[in-house]
Amino acid sequence: MGNFLRLALRQMDVQLRMRVLSLWSLGLFFTQPAIFSAVGMLLAHAAGNANPDLIYTVIGGGIMGMWSGLVFTSTFDIRADRREGTLELIVGSPTPLRRVVGFRSLLNILAGSTSMLAAVTAAVLIFDYSFAGINVPAVILSFALLLFGLWCMGIFLANLLAWSRLSGTFVDLLEMPIALLCGFMYPISVLPSWMQYISVVFPIRWSLQAMREAMRGTAANAELLSLWGISLGISLVFYLFSHWLDVKVHDHIRVTGELHSI
Amino acid sequence: MIRKLGQFFRLYFFQAWFSYRSLFAWSTPFSYMTSKFGFPFFSMLYFVFIGKFVGFDNPEFIVIGNILLMPSINGLYGISMTIGDERQFGAMSYLLASPAARAPLFLGRAFFHIIDGFITVLVALPIAILFFGLGFSGINLLLLALCLILLSITTTGLGFIMGTISLVSRDGWMFTNTLGQLLFILIGVNIPVDKLPAFLQPISNYLPMTRGILAARQVLDGARWLDVSGLLGGEILVGLVYILIGYTLFRLIERASMTTGSLDSI
Repeated sequence: MGNFLRLALRQMDVQLRMRVLSLWSLGLFFTQPAIFSAVGMLLAHAAGNANPDLIYTVIGGGIMGMWSGLVFTSTFDIRADRREGTLELIVGSPTPLRRVVGFRSLLNILAGSTSMLAAVTAAVLIFDYSFAGINVPAVILSFALLLFGLWCMGIFLANLLAWSRLSGTFVDLLEMPIALLCGFMYPISVLPSWMQYISVVFPIRWSLQAMREAMRGTAANAELLSLWGISLGISLVFYLFSHWLDVKVHDHIRVTGELHSI
Repeated sequence: MIRKLGQFFRLYFFQAWFSYRSLFAWSTPFSYMTSKFGFPFFSMLYFVFIGKFVGFDNPEFIVIGNILLMPSINGLYGISMTIGDERQFGAMSYLLASPAARAPLFLGRAFFHIIDGFITVLVALPIAILFFGLGFSGINLLLLALCLILLSITTTGLGFIMGTISLVSRDGWMFTNTLGQLLFILIGVNIPVDKLPAFLQPISNYLPMTRGILAARQVLDGARWLDVSGLLGGEILVGLVYILIGYTLFRLIERASMTTGSLDSI
């Protein structure tokens, strides 16, 4: 247990210094969500709405920051390792790749949460958002499931990149489609039905829906329970896929006998 | 005189071709297409759905605006990366130590990005026009093409400036990215400039592409040369000022690096 914690702290410390504390990451966490929120607010204003919908426009921007931060930091980690020649060393070390990637993604998620924190702070301080009437325990649980879903997707993407160099372009493209399909800044019902069908495979879509319901004060009813259950279940599927990819990476090295084959 | 001009253009096109090739040398056709159309397409849809949710009942405005913004991928991001990467890949010293004239060396980096940006928007715009059933009748296609090529040229000014900033700052790419995203708000892409808060509207007027996008929108609505000539003249003027600022910045930074004798430090 002590070794595990030491590894966790060391990995997260390195990750924080090397990747997260950079202007680039801060831009992903704060600047980009602020700009997208501003577009939402200005569009609402242009449409004649006096006040923007804070849950979608402002807090949705925070979720966007969390996702963008995760998708780029988690995947850039693997690319940087590959470029700098440390990916082979990590895979060759006795510590499983999935564990290293897991701790890194955890820190990426925690760092990305500051985007959400900033969005909520902005909603409260600038737009007088009130916490009155929200179901606090349900919001906390939904947010925890959101973080877990993001973490599972993060380690899945990182392992996918470790397994296939070609997946890089596909992963680059994911930032906006996921934001689009999961309805970060609008309700899912705004999407055409075929897009809503596609979005069911992403755990964050469900936890986000649950969080918004809880923010509107919905009690923990059967609908919320099912949203949490679906989110958790799909997150675990992503986790299992990432485990499978990790095994494939190690198998590939065993078969070829060459670390640099990944 | 003629010989000097020949040398100038030879260097200009040589630099244009090689800098463009080196930028996309790593690229597969798929990654090229996704980098050109992927983010713009999905962000456009994202803004359309945000607009739908908040009751902005003019999705065509957002779609056309985002398509007209497409040349900025080349003009802003492409050129900024082309110039900024010279330092990252250690080629800056060789470039500055060469006796080549600086103007074609610097400005040549834009040529193929202008063509590429123009072709990109030329492909995307008719698709959007047909998709929304706007039709081509009543549109002065030559004037529209002029607006598009102008947009592809004027956006390079921002690329030159941000590329030069990338030479002096390791976080230049972050600044470029932020500026690129601010364009979603400031130049009439998603929101009409006259609907922006009063303090933002003067900023819009001093940015390249604002007038070009407005002119292109008017041409799509059937405007003629006389209706948009003022806007296009303004767009040319603003674009030239930005290109000039970018080039001057580059020369100033180059001179500073020569003075200190530290080519690599820029």
